[in-house]
Amino acid sequence: MNPAETKTEPVAASVDPVHTHVVAEYKHQRPLTTLACDPAGRLLAAGAEDLNVQLWDLQSDRQRTLEGHDSWVRSVRFSADGSRLYTACWGGVLKAWDLTADQPQVLYSVQAHQGSARWVGVSPDGRWLVTCGNDLLVKIWDAGDGSLRQVFAGHARHVYGAQFHPTAPLLVSQDLVGGVKLWNYLTGQPEHTFVADMMTGYDKKFAADMGGSRDLQFDPDGTAWASAGITKLTNGFAGDQDPLIVLFDWQTCKPLRRFHAAKNFKGIAWGVRFHRSGFVIGAGAHKNGKGALWFYNRQQDEPFHTVATPRAARGLDLIGEDRFAVAHADGTASVYQMTEPEAEPQTEPQTETEG
Amino acid sequence: MQADRLRQSGKRILQIFLQGGVSQLESWDPKPGTRYGGPFRAIPTSVPGMHISELLPHTARRMHHLSIVRSINSKINDHRQGMLYMERGRPAGDFPYLGSVASKYLAGPEATLPGYIHITTRGLNDQTAAFLGAQHAELTLRGVQPPDNLQLPGQLDPELDAQRESLRRQFDEPFARRRSNAELANYDAAFKQAELLMARKKIFAGEASPRDLERYGTHDFAKYCLLARTLLENGATCVKVTHHGYDSHAENFNFHLEQLEEFDKPFSMLLDDLHDRGMLDSTLVLICSEFGRTPKINTKYGRDHWGTAWSTVLGGCGVQPGAIIGATNAEGTEVADREVDSGHLFHTYLRAVGLDTYAEHDLPGRSIPIGDPAAEEIGELLS
Repeated sequence: MNPAETKTEPVAASVDPVHTHVVAEYKHQRPLTTLACDPAGRLLAAGAEDLNVQLWDLQSDRQRTLEGHDSWVRSVRFSADGSRLYTACWGGVLKAWDLTADQPQVLYSVQAHQGSARWVGVSPDGRWLVTCGNDLLVKIWDAGDGSLRQVFAGHARHVYGAQFHPTAPLLVSQDLVGGVKLWNYLTGQPEHTFVADMMTGYDKKFAADMGGSRDLQFDPDGTAWASAGITKLTNGFAGDQDPLIVLFDWQTCKPLRRFHAAKNFKGIAWGVRFHRSGFVIGAGAHKNGKGALWFYNRQQDEPFHTVATPRAARGLDLIGEDRFAVAHADGTASVYQMTEPEAEPQTEPQTETEG
Repeated sequence: MQADRLRQSGKRILQIFLQGGVSQLESWDPKPGTRYGGPFRAIPTSVPGMHISELLPHTARRMHHLSIVRSINSKINDHRQGMLYMERGRPAGDFPYLGSVASKYLAGPEATLPGYIHITTRGLNDQTAAFLGAQHAELTLRGVQPPDNLQLPGQLDPELDAQRESLRRQFDEPFARRRSNAELANYDAAFKQAELLMARKKIFAGEASPRDLERYGTHDFAKYCLLARTLLENGATCVKVTHHGYDSHAENFNFHLEQLEEFDKPFSMLLDDLHDRGMLDSTLVLICSEFGRTPKINTKYGRDHWGTAWSTVLGGCGVQPGAIIGATNAEGTEVADREVDSGHLFHTYLRAVGLDTYAEHDLPGRSIPIGDPAAEEIGELLS
């Protein structure tokens, strides 16, 4: 479990979350459910409340539609070189798409899980995929041909998220009721299990559990991971719970931080990303249909900066160092920039003339 | 009197109430791939051409015992009013619930259990019997917990208890001669219900067998279904089992995954057991709710209350199996064919057990039709 020794270029000094503003918007006619950007910052892919994946070229704004799933797509990931897209749907199907063709084609399609496949992740070296789902399993696949390599059983409830560690041969998974497992994919055995009980709740009135990791990401240096979800469930059937992003220490598995939103914000944290300069970005949806972007440092649980959004936020991914994209519930994929807005070119005031 | 004839028939009712408003799109009327269809797929059932949600795989294999009504427009989006309409078959007014009507006309004086038993863990103590009298009111069981005080007090043996009861009656009779019969009948009904339950207290004793727990499951609803089976086997006339947790204004899909997974298998096992015991021909099985849920999905991944176009399921007791009655339009936003309401369902349920719902209640001096005169049964479901 040694953290990665990374050699990184310095982050551009101009990146500052307080400057966050929208620089582009991409529209789809159905509400978006999830989103990912390719590592080169060229492409943006999103699932929606339909059976398709939308693929936008961020340079040309060209939109392509990937058809083939028979249920909503709930997780999308690009390969490291951006030549492939991996998608997982509520029907439990995992697909790999060849993005080198003008119209992306399905390379393989497998029934990854019985019941929903809630997640697809890519290993740091790009060779493996991890999925998890409602059959209580976590599975590793050969990214090249979609062949099944390993199955991890042990979760007692639906598994919401699973992610590879950046350097160690381990992955972490989290289920509906906060069960977290660290799996060693060299030995095929779980190395550690604990319950993140702050991220789940039982609704006594309606007799149902709520929780799960809605997004799960490692700090690129491997020293911590973050899980986005909920806490303080009071009435989950009405959306009355608080969003929460928990930062876990990789060595001890103890929570380092419990990042929360403003006190009156009721909803779900749907996205989390580590920025290389050290801050953490969160995205969430309020029960009233609006959303928020939260920016945290490691010294406090409260955000040091918050951006209110007029639409619920359902997914988040970085585009390079200075931008990130957010999937919104009204069908918009918004691209936000974290540097100062370019000054508007000064134009001569126009004078209306009577004709 | 039709009551005398019906009591000979041995007909009974199992009512499963999915409280909160189960989503028709995630259960009986899936619309996958459409604008409001949600993320789940439709699966084939044991009836050729009939598809239901993939959230109900066990029930799907048993739909040849059941029929779906997909065209309910009850026009009510309020929980209580929707429930009352389903139970009373009338949109307003103080009328008896389905189970109380069953108790009056299907359970005779010789019945060995109260006529209307409701297994639930929540809810109000409703006056379900209305003018039929307290002896036909719902007896609420709080889950699988036996009613309190089924055992005689330690210092009483059965002989002494019988003497005590005799003394009570001696005091009551002259008292009753000078007072309202209805109030005293209610008072007396409580003693009679207690007497029945105390005599059958073994029903509540003992644990479910490992085999039953393996088949049904170990969660609460599974245990309620097992208790319902025991009660029906032991002569109960109407058993209602409420499964809570469908009012999903948020996280509709995750909550329906949880709740319908919990419902699907135990209900299917109970249906199998009724069939295997030869009871399905004489047991009307209902799966109902107070309304459905909106086709439109809100920003919380929720669906809201929707009485405009929703579904219910029934079977057994001579109901035509494997039928689909009515239809909604392509996006499920309105009824497209054979619109019915809760009044039609009420007539249908009771006519299935042999009751003439156009007749009036057996009430001296009063003229109250059993079913809503403005509605009628769904005739094509009744053979």
